[in-house]
Amino acid sequence: MNDSALAAPPVQAAAATPPKLKVRDLNFYYDGFHALKGISMDVPEKQVTAIIGPSGCGKSTLLRIFNRIYAIYPKLEARGSIELDGENILAPGYSMNRLRSKVGMVFQKPVPFPMTIFENVAYGIRHHERLSRSEMEARVEQALRSAALWDEVKDKLKQNALGLSGGQQQRLCIARAIALRPEVLLLDEPTSALDPIATGRIEQLVEELKHEYTIVIVTHNMQQAARCSDRTAFMYLGELIEFDRTEQIFTKPGKKQTEDYITGRFG
Amino acid sequence: MNGSGKEHIIKSYDDELARLTGEIVRMGELAATQLESAIDVVERRDERAAQRVVANDDAIDQMEQEISHDVVRLLALRAPIAGDLRNVFAALRIAADIERIGDYAANVAKRSIPLSMVAPVAPASGLAYLAELAAEQVREVLAAYNDRDTERAYQVWQNDVALDDAYTGYFRQLLTYMMEDPRNITPCTHLLFMAKNIERIGDHATNIAENIWFQVHGEPLNKQRIKRDFTSNPEPGRLDE
Amino acid sequence: MSALYLRRRIANWVALALSGLATLLGLAFLVWILWETLRQGIAALDLKLFTKITAYGEDGGLANAMVGSLIIDFIGIAIATPIGVLAGTWLAEYANRTRLGEAIRFLNDILLSAPSIVLGLFVYTIVVLPITSLTSGNTTFSGFAGGVALALIALPVIVRTTDEMLRLVPSTLREAALSLGVPQWKLTCQILVRAARSGIITGVLLALARISGETAPLLFTAFGNNYMTLNPLDKMASLPQVIYQYANDPGDAMHALAWAGAFVVTMFVLLLSLASRFVLSRNKVSHE
Repeated sequence: MNDSALAAPPVQAAAATPPKLKVRDLNFYYDGFHALKGISMDVPEKQVTAIIGPSGCGKSTLLRIFNRIYAIYPKLEARGSIELDGENILAPGYSMNRLRSKVGMVFQKPVPFPMTIFENVAYGIRHHERLSRSEMEARVEQALRSAALWDEVKDKLKQNALGLSGGQQQRLCIARAIALRPEVLLLDEPTSALDPIATGRIEQLVEELKHEYTIVIVTHNMQQAARCSDRTAFMYLGELIEFDRTEQIFTKPGKKQTEDYITGRFG
Repeated sequence: MNGSGKEHIIKSYDDELARLTGEIVRMGELAATQLESAIDVVERRDERAAQRVVANDDAIDQMEQEISHDVVRLLALRAPIAGDLRNVFAALRIAADIERIGDYAANVAKRSIPLSMVAPVAPASGLAYLAELAAEQVREVLAAYNDRDTERAYQVWQNDVALDDAYTGYFRQLLTYMMEDPRNITPCTHLLFMAKNIERIGDHATNIAENIWFQVHGEPLNKQRIKRDFTSNPEPGRLDE
Repeated sequence: MSALYLRRRIANWVALALSGLATLLGLAFLVWILWETLRQGIAALDLKLFTKITAYGEDGGLANAMVGSLIIDFIGIAIATPIGVLAGTWLAEYANRTRLGEAIRFLNDILLSAPSIVLGLFVYTIVVLPITSLTSGNTTFSGFAGGVALALIALPVIVRTTDEMLRLVPSTLREAALSLGVPQWKLTCQILVRAARSGIITGVLLALARISGETAPLLFTAFGNNYMTLNPLDKMASLPQVIYQYANDPGDAMHALAWAGAFVVTMFVLLLSLASRFVLSRNKVSHE
């Protein structure tokens, strides 16, 4: 940390909400198919950015480029740049290990590892840091508390995580992701497999987590985007159609395409 | 249907929104008719007809309740957003304005009863002109609402000045009559209140125009229009408010 | 409307009757085989079957063949399991969707359906003959060679099930682990194999069931031995081979012994199948 960063008054930083992720002219190709077309956007720090759009519009793809998880499959190619704190994560030299410790991800279906609840959370930490037993226990507890799961599982940390309910499993996955203390949290339709109560809990969690993390959430549920995001991006056929304050998008979107989509008209 | 032109994927949603618009237009027509009947009653000095007009106001109140019910239902079941939300929101507010218009029309009819008990006074005929202007405004704004025609709504909004001017003139005329002959005070006071009611109807018509503007454009009317058109010409005719 | 309904009901009834008949036909033979094995086998079942060796002929038992079978099957599984699991893992996790992976998967499927006698001859050529030449001309059949032959039969089964079971693990589990920055090898060893464990164990048990009934590949490799031996480098008897031999004998007493052997093998296979079912079902419960 340098002097100028220390000197900067916090109020100003909060007002300006500097971009955490700077996407510039991002193009994505899937086996020759042009899946994302010239996306440029600034994801603001410590805010919730929702990405909405019909199936196949590229919103999940965009999310999966933010932590380069797409790279595990062959024939996929991303061009352009995504700067995380000023460094291009698409550059060949950018360490995957570093990227994934900074950018956590939670998926559509809860996917706990086939191990105990404690181990699920400790597993990722163990790969990045060497902690003593007591440090690890404190860390796991903290992650589970942040994910609003601690009270429900503190007496059964040694039980298999597959025994938890769907909503609990998803919160466990969030705990697992935030246990690494990432800076960005990517949520890919995190509540699409959950009932309304479990969904509400996750949304409340998102509300709390945004004070510490930059959150990007992909959702099919328009009301969810409206409820829990600060900014909303609307994507259609691989293009970013509109990106604005959520309030603006849902009361008076700038583009007719956006309005037609969010009000449920033929696209 | 609305600004977008495209239909909803769920057809019944469109039907419900269309129904809402239809209800507003019918309610507005009823209110305009009430106003015209009230003036007719004043001219004819017909106490019975006056009581009928007063009784008819219940129908308008009833329609407002139906619209409120439909709006709540739409909000709960369709969770409208963006243009749809403004559509529903505007409908609720417009219905409230029309309900007030109906109340004022009924008030005019109610006051025609004591007015008809005293000897006719000359300025009574001036009220009809004022009412004509107001009824015209109401019908215009309803047409604008039906067609989502913001230009037409804007015309109504601007024309309110004419009604206000007419009201101010009529006000002075009545004052003159009262000063001339104290016996005119009773009928002229009634006429004064009736004129005031009619002027208020005009104000509600402009409210409706503003709501139409907001519904279509998503922003308030006065902010940008005043800046564009009225900076050199301050809004006249609002002295008495 | 009702005519259409009637037609549908008739079509339904005919289809049901035909498929039921086919099932009955298949089951009838299966039950017949099992029944005959049980009836004839239990009749010949006695203590000496488990205590005496085949050297006594009609008065003997099958003890040496049972021990031999266990040793040979164990050798086969011990060789096939690590190779099969590793190869299956490689196919599913590293070579999935690659040309090489597809080619190897295809070859494995061919191996899966290869006649077992061909595999016996193959092992005869690559194991028995070289050892024979080393030991200056004594034809050296051995339990070990038999185990190698059975391993070749078990291998494709284990490769296939490991591959399938790992590919059944949802890709999101991989993505979830990789998105924590966990490297592929850790993911494979610590998460995927754990998630697919019960499936893989089932595959191994089924492979064991499959090889425990094999006769042909053992004729050229383990050969057979009328005496008890625990030395895997010696000729060794096995249940299927003894059954084959006794079944060809004209004596009724020998036939009875063959039936008893068949009964023992059948029970062994049945137990293995039940065990694999148990492993699978236990896993399913834990998922819920």
